Amino acid sequence: MSESKHLNHAALLLIACALPLAAAAGEGSIERKVAAEANGEVVISNVSGTVDVRGWDRNEVQVTGHLGDDVERIDVETIGGRTVVKVVLPRGNSRDGDAEIEVSVPRNSSVEVSAVSADVSSRGVLGTQRLKTVSGELTADIAGDESEVRSVSGDVTVRGSGKPLRLRVASVSGSLDLTNTAGSLDMVTVSGDARVQMGDTSDVRGRTTSGDLEVRGTLTRNGRVDVEGVSGDITLRLSAKDGVSTEIESFSGDINGCLATNVERVSKYGPGKRLNIRTVEAGARVRAKTLSGDIEICDK
Amino acid sequence: MTHQTGRRVKRIDELAQSLPPPRDLWPAIAAAIEADRAGAPEQAAPRRTRWLPAVGMAAAVALVTFGVLIGRFMGPVTTGTVASTPATQGSPDLLPAALRDADYRKQRDVLLAEVEVQLAAMPAAEREKVAASLKTLRRSIGEIEAALGRDPANALLQELLVNSCQEEMRALTAVRDAGSQET
Repeated sequence: MSESKHLNHAALLLIACALPLAAAAGEGSIERKVAAEANGEVVISNVSGTVDVRGWDRNEVQVTGHLGDDVERIDVETIGGRTVVKVVLPRGNSRDGDAEIEVSVPRNSSVEVSAVSADVSSRGVLGTQRLKTVSGELTADIAGDESEVRSVSGDVTVRGSGKPLRLRVASVSGSLDLTNTAGSLDMVTVSGDARVQMGDTSDVRGRTTSGDLEVRGTLTRNGRVDVEGVSGDITLRLSAKDGVSTEIESFSGDINGCLATNVERVSKYGPGKRLNIRTVEAGARVRAKTLSGDIEICDK
Repeated sequence: MTHQTGRRVKRIDELAQSLPPPRDLWPAIAAAIEADRAGAPEQAAPRRTRWLPAVGMAAAVALVTFGVLIGRFMGPVTTGTVASTPATQGSPDLLPAALRDADYRKQRDVLLAEVEVQLAAMPAAEREKVAASLKTLRRSIGEIEAALGRDPANALLQELLVNSCQEEMRALTAVRDAGSQET
């Protein structure tokens, strides 16, 4: 009887010691590493917390960070050329459960990140990136062609490499801040402001509903800029070697700026202004239109 | 002759004022007119009496049919479509857009219902921000439609309206799909 009493005490002691360890296993630091292909694909998903992606020169994917109390586990596995990093929450809890993770990936990987409220950042990745979050902030260095960045209400900051690439950026209510991009850009926001600073620009398409839109850049010989706003103002500071031809029109907004010297009324009796500049030598074209927002255009 | 064809004309007044035909055409023309006058009354009268009543009756029937069709289709369709659609009852601003395309309206209503569910699941601050953006889009569409009402042929407004409707669908889809990003 006394022997069994001792055994019970020992078992209780073991359980008491194991509990904090078990808790630490769920909440504490993590470090996982798997082999990956140099040009493989890395798919990351995390609901809440942070996701920091880093490009490095090793052919492996490493995940470090902290998992919150409500996180069930993190899965890290490579199948073929595809590595999946997934923060798993308990069934029935799809939103609460912070995980702060840093994911190091081979530099030339293509990366896809999905988050809900988690902030996402990316640095040093050269492959195509597809980053999306619902309400988290998104900050990325983008160098891969055909990249795409999307948010619903989170603000987006993108830094390009200066190398021409095709990039799509979209948000509903978040603001967009894009710098040092080049090549082709397709951007859209509803109520957030959008600010774009581009190098050699071949094609820009932009749309905003109520947010203000500003595009600065140097157009290539046959570059195209086509932007549209409803009530938001549009500011264009675009230069091209042989000048630009413009087709600018606003229903009830103003048209101004250093190129707006020959603004004319669309109709003698109704509202509307337009600025059409036809430069024979110019291959570059700028088209802008608004309902009530003002348009400013300058080549300096 | 050789001299004439070889001569180069340098001014327009050097050209001949009139060229006589190679032969007199008038006698043949006059004979043809006389022949028509002589034979016309006997041939034209029966033709008119035979076809005119039939054509008149056909035109009258067509006119009545067209009027009946207009009467049947104009009234009931306008009131019936709008009144029987609950989604458009509470939003008079959207009636013109709704009337344009039933498929568009149907897809939009489905999306709106899904978006409502998604918005309800969002944290309050985020929900307010996104809902305000969607409201901004709807208000913009209303403003463009109001402007189009005053200036229906304005190409700029037409383009802005189409793009804004597309933009609203894109934004609604983005909000709806936000739920599918959960792990």
